[in-house]
Amino acid sequence: MAIDQIRGGRKIGRYILLVVMAVIVLFPIYVMAIGALKPGNKVLENPLLPSNITFGTLTRAWRSGQLGRAMVNSTVVAVVVTVAQVVTSVLAAYSFVFLKFPGRTVVFVLFLATLLVPLEATLTVNRRTMQSLGWLNSYRGLTVPFLATAFGIFMIRQVFLTIPKEMREAASMDGLGHLGFLREVAVPLSRPTIGALALFAFLTSWNQYLWPVLVTTDSDYNTVQTGLAALKKASLSQPNLVIAGTVIIALPIFIVLISFQRQLVRGLTAGAVKG
Amino acid sequence: MRPRIALCLAVAGSLAAASCSSGGKNLGNAGIDNTTATTAAGSTSAPVTLAPGETLPPGETLPTADTPLDTAAPATTQPALLDSLPKCDVGLLDSASSSGPVEITFWHGLSDANGEELTKVTDAYNASQSKVKVNLQFQGGYNETIDKYLQSDTANRPDLVQMPEYMLQQMVDTKSIVPAQACAESAGYDTSPFLPGALQAYATQGVQWSLPFNISLPVLFFLKPTFVKAGLDPANPPQTLDDLLAAGKQIVSSGAAPYSIALDSDFDGGGGWYVEQLLAKSGEFYADNENGRAAPATKVLYDGPAGLKLFTYLQTLITEGGAVYVGDNASGTDALLKLADATAPAAMTLSTSASLGPVFAALGSGLIPGITAADVGVGLMPGPVNGLGGLVGGNSLYIVDGKGGDKAAAAWDFMTYLDSAQVQSSFAAATGYIPVRQDSLDLDPIKSTYADDSRYKVAYDQLAGSADSPTSLGPVIGPLQQVRKVTAEAVASVLTGGDPQTALTSAAQQANDLISNYNLTNGG
Amino acid sequence: MRSRRWRDTGLAVLMLGPSLVILGWFVVYPLIKAMFLGTQRCNPTGKCPVDGGLQQYVDAFQSSQFQDALLVTVKYALITVPIGLLLGVGLAVLADKYVRGVGIFRTIFSSTVATSVAVASVMWFFLLNPNVGIVADWIGGVAKTPGLLQNEGTALWSVSASSIWANLGFTFIVITAGLQSVPKDLYESAYVDGANGFTRFTNVTLPMISPILLFVTVVLTARAFESFGEIDLLTGGGPKGSTTTLTYLAYGRGLPTSSDDGLRATVSVLVFFVLLILALVQFRGLEKRVHYGN
Repeated sequence: MAIDQIRGGRKIGRYILLVVMAVIVLFPIYVMAIGALKPGNKVLENPLLPSNITFGTLTRAWRSGQLGRAMVNSTVVAVVVTVAQVVTSVLAAYSFVFLKFPGRTVVFVLFLATLLVPLEATLTVNRRTMQSLGWLNSYRGLTVPFLATAFGIFMIRQVFLTIPKEMREAASMDGLGHLGFLREVAVPLSRPTIGALALFAFLTSWNQYLWPVLVTTDSDYNTVQTGLAALKKASLSQPNLVIAGTVIIALPIFIVLISFQRQLVRGLTAGAVKG
Repeated sequence: MRPRIALCLAVAGSLAAASCSSGGKNLGNAGIDNTTATTAAGSTSAPVTLAPGETLPPGETLPTADTPLDTAAPATTQPALLDSLPKCDVGLLDSASSSGPVEITFWHGLSDANGEELTKVTDAYNASQSKVKVNLQFQGGYNETIDKYLQSDTANRPDLVQMPEYMLQQMVDTKSIVPAQACAESAGYDTSPFLPGALQAYATQGVQWSLPFNISLPVLFFLKPTFVKAGLDPANPPQTLDDLLAAGKQIVSSGAAPYSIALDSDFDGGGGWYVEQLLAKSGEFYADNENGRAAPATKVLYDGPAGLKLFTYLQTLITEGGAVYVGDNASGTDALLKLADATAPAAMTLSTSASLGPVFAALGSGLIPGITAADVGVGLMPGPVNGLGGLVGGNSLYIVDGKGGDKAAAAWDFMTYLDSAQVQSSFAAATGYIPVRQDSLDLDPIKSTYADDSRYKVAYDQLAGSADSPTSLGPVIGPLQQVRKVTAEAVASVLTGGDPQTALTSAAQQANDLISNYNLTNGG
Repeated sequence: MRSRRWRDTGLAVLMLGPSLVILGWFVVYPLIKAMFLGTQRCNPTGKCPVDGGLQQYVDAFQSSQFQDALLVTVKYALITVPIGLLLGVGLAVLADKYVRGVGIFRTIFSSTVATSVAVASVMWFFLLNPNVGIVADWIGGVAKTPGLLQNEGTALWSVSASSIWANLGFTFIVITAGLQSVPKDLYESAYVDGANGFTRFTNVTLPMISPILLFVTVVLTARAFESFGEIDLLTGGGPKGSTTTLTYLAYGRGLPTSSDDGLRATVSVLVFFVLLILALVQFRGLEKRVHYGN
């Protein structure tokens, strides 16, 4: 009985802590959501209470911030970068694990060394490259430099290394070539890690801020990040518009997150531990 | 490529060793031989500062001290420079537009209600004729416009760009613009209705580089009810700096408001632009060589006695006058919003006249409970002697070179539309900017706006009251934006209790470094 | 023999090709080029008429702006990384045990992953605004005048709060995933050995999730050093440079580096060397304690 009481007490303590932390984490989101649902002239009154609920502010923010366009841009860029990173990483990782060629280790170490180069050390020159190619204000400019990463190659290589060599030999006996083995054995076995890489690539690309600022001048190529920054600067005397903009931009990812939470955690469980 | 990496690694090693001995050097001087850089400053040796390998375009002469300030007849006083600059043939528009409208891109940095008004007049222009179609692009603000313009090549630049007043010298140095004067001469355009000061602000070396579009000046915003409560006359706001200090003391001691005036250190506001305004109101130059208009500026002058007096005064406003410092105005509206603060408001602030429109619109929509647009009073920006006089702020329009003669002609057509008496009248009435032309004042809506609501006319009167003196034309300095930034740091320091002389000396030193380094990399 | 060694080379070149091109073109080449560009001083149009030589690196490193920014960055990392890690571990452990409704809490704690850098920064900008934000009226004092983001002493902490909050979702998800991968029988045997909750945590959980913690630490540190968006949107590097991190010093607005590609390269190449040294130290220190449990 006593143990049960202690357990019960602990459980209540845990609940209280959980609730307190949940309130703290949710607080900024709650304040923004309330602000976004209020008309402009009520946004400063009782900021914590929903009153005069309207969707007018949201629609105005959507229009004046060209957020639809920004969302399409960000989605295109993030999807292209994600797919490309997965493909290039899988291909490169496969050749490092299953192919024999001279200088394999040296090449791999060189690849790995690029992980030590911070993004900002390359941006100035990359921007000049984009300019000379005429790729400013284009999807090419926003995506091409990020189509491959050493991080992805390393991550996939780690999981490929766990596939027994005997499987490759057995497949080879069955007449399965490298591409067949890659498609039918290696990739399916590594699905969770590939999923984790895809998620990481997508979020990183979606969150890019400095690079889009450097290579776009045309608001038609605003991503959600630069679009929101522009909305903030354009609507300073209308804070509710900007607040509504944050809600609009956060909402789709939030919904995706809730729907796929279980898969996401499972993917990371497999990926991050071994990666 | 290997030896280079090895070399750099060796440098890294020596850097680590040197890290302990930081002598507080200025990053802006990195890689530049400081001894030559600092001796270059102080002498007007523009040719010496030409970088190796840089040559002047044929026909171009470096400006000399006897460059005339007067632009009334610039073409005759120095024909050589204009002749060497890109040409403009406005007649090309007619032939080019026969097969459909010429499309041009226009970059601007106007936000909020001001940006909406620009969209409105642009839409009206596009609908009113079929020769030119303007594609309006908001760049996120002035700073964004500047960064993007400077870093783009011709292909990625717009055909027409709006730039703040402090960009004049840098725009000239990019050698990327068709001088407005070239188009004006080609079109036989009459500039006589323009406010003379507004035109002269954008003319140097005898060339009219751009045409003003939207002019603003800082003015005093105050809350009339608080003035009444404090026993001050809302119809008669403080005009001199001494009056301002006295009014501040009265507001706080009477308990009408916790703070008298909200001061910011925004480099486009209290930290930079207002400092230039106050020096001009004192009849002082901000930079040498007559604010860089007689010859390229080599150093700032604000660390002299006039600047010290000014900075000491700002500190007194805080320590004795009940002023409150609101930071560097990150939101762009912090100083104004301090007037609307529910718990600890200030009674006054300085802000650009361009915020009149947005402020009245926001108050009209009921954004701030308890304050209506009618509660807001507008007065001249106080100065040492009186409130009259000031420097032309705001923006001018530059035609971009290399986009094709038809585009330049189309840009000129749109530009003169924006500067027409009627558009200037309606734009000023909607925003709080000052019309660039005198004949706009005879046209509605600004005619009735000025008659009905004197608050809109304050900035106009302030500018019209400027003394006819070289100090009434603002500084032309290549890196003026960055100079303002270091000046703003000094203002921030003084407003938070720092020693005025120390702050000024340090800021002036950094500003002078910026100027000499700029002259080195931009070839004078 | 020889043919065996070379057998796959053709295919390897094809498969490595895309990555090789991208990494060579956009990571290796720009780094080398930046090292050269860092010895030049350029004007806003991108031409570089002044050759500063290697002295330019020495000057830049010794400049007060660089040293200040280095200090700010280190401070920023020292605030955001440990607090972010502690909060992440704490919340993940708290929400790991099966209690009713734990799914909702997990969703809440991971929700900030949906707020990208711009969303989080704009949210916090309004939250902390001295005039329209509600936090200012609660706290008063400097939160009111001039405001947490406008005050030299609190600005970096406020930016850190925003960034810790924004990273919390990511940290929570990854650590939760790590916790769930710890085999249950390890806990059971520890329980049988009489270990209490705390010793089970220190002796079983921590070693098992140490690779994850290393991963999170590395990611958070990299984010701290590469932080730009939050600085740009919250403070613009101010007040008085108190939030000017190294990346902001290289790419921010109205700074000596603005519109000078050469000086930008100087600063960012220096950042590269600083991070290189840091990475070596970090891995040396941390890897000894990491348990790779395969």
